[in-house]
Amino acid sequence: MKESLLEILCCPLDKNDLELEDAEYDDSSEDSEILSGTLVCTACGERYPIEDGIPNLLPPDMREESPA
Amino acid sequence: MGILENKARARLFYKYLSQVYDQINPFIWNEEMRTEALSLLEFEDAEMVLDVGCGTGFATEGLLEHVDTVYALDQSEHQLEKAYAKFGKTGGPAQFHRGDAERLPFQTDTFDIVWSSGSIEYWPEPVLALREFNRVLKPGGQVLVVGPNYPENPIAQVLADAMMLFYDEHEADRMFKDAGFEEVKHLFQGPSYEPEVAITTIARAPE
Repeated sequence: MKESLLEILCCPLDKNDLELEDAEYDDSSEDSEILSGTLVCTACGERYPIEDGIPNLLPPDMREESPA
Repeated sequence: MGILENKARARLFYKYLSQVYDQINPFIWNEEMRTEALSLLEFEDAEMVLDVGCGTGFATEGLLEHVDTVYALDQSEHQLEKAYAKFGKTGGPAQFHRGDAERLPFQTDTFDIVWSSGSIEYWPEPVLALREFNRVLKPGGQVLVVGPNYPENPIAQVLADAMMLFYDEHEADRMFKDAGFEEVKHLFQGPSYEPEVAITTIARAPE
């Protein structure tokens, strides 16, 4: 994902801003492409992973590892 | 009530659906119908376009004929894999996200157009998702949703009720108005042998 995308993203649960942690960038791209990292809600603290460049903003109850 | 209300079941369903989707889908939702639906939207000043439930990227492809970038969201990694193959996973014209239609991860007043085709029938609570569409749309922004029209054949109705959500014009009107949309209009679409298989609704977020 592009770093500029952060401006339009929010926590799916409470719609508050997200903060980027542990970001790894793709050096070959001109446009600050983030390959991995974690998006953390500034209000509730819920963590959303960026996996292989794709932000996974599924609420925690819908993620694969959860028993749903 | 459909079988997909349990989210774990929904995931399993999508996993298998993605394997056949682009083969079966042209029978009910084809390029001609996509073009007709796209013609209902005003792209002149639109820069921010969201495709909810983009799946394998069929509608994303059509939207990209009108805008440079499409923000695309789907809950299923298996469906998205097909879309990645079409547009590139990152750095391409489609910006992909995994997420839930009923709990969108986007800021309020972000998009000029929100599109969703072939997805509403799987949402447990469609009005919740439509309210989310309204929230992320800029004031006056357009929403377009393509869903399955409720069949008239009683046997098809039983199947429809067991499988997923189907709705008629009246029900669509109620859902979109409940979600706060204005100027709600409907268009029936389908291939020549089944001309009303899909119901396409367009509406506007209040100014």
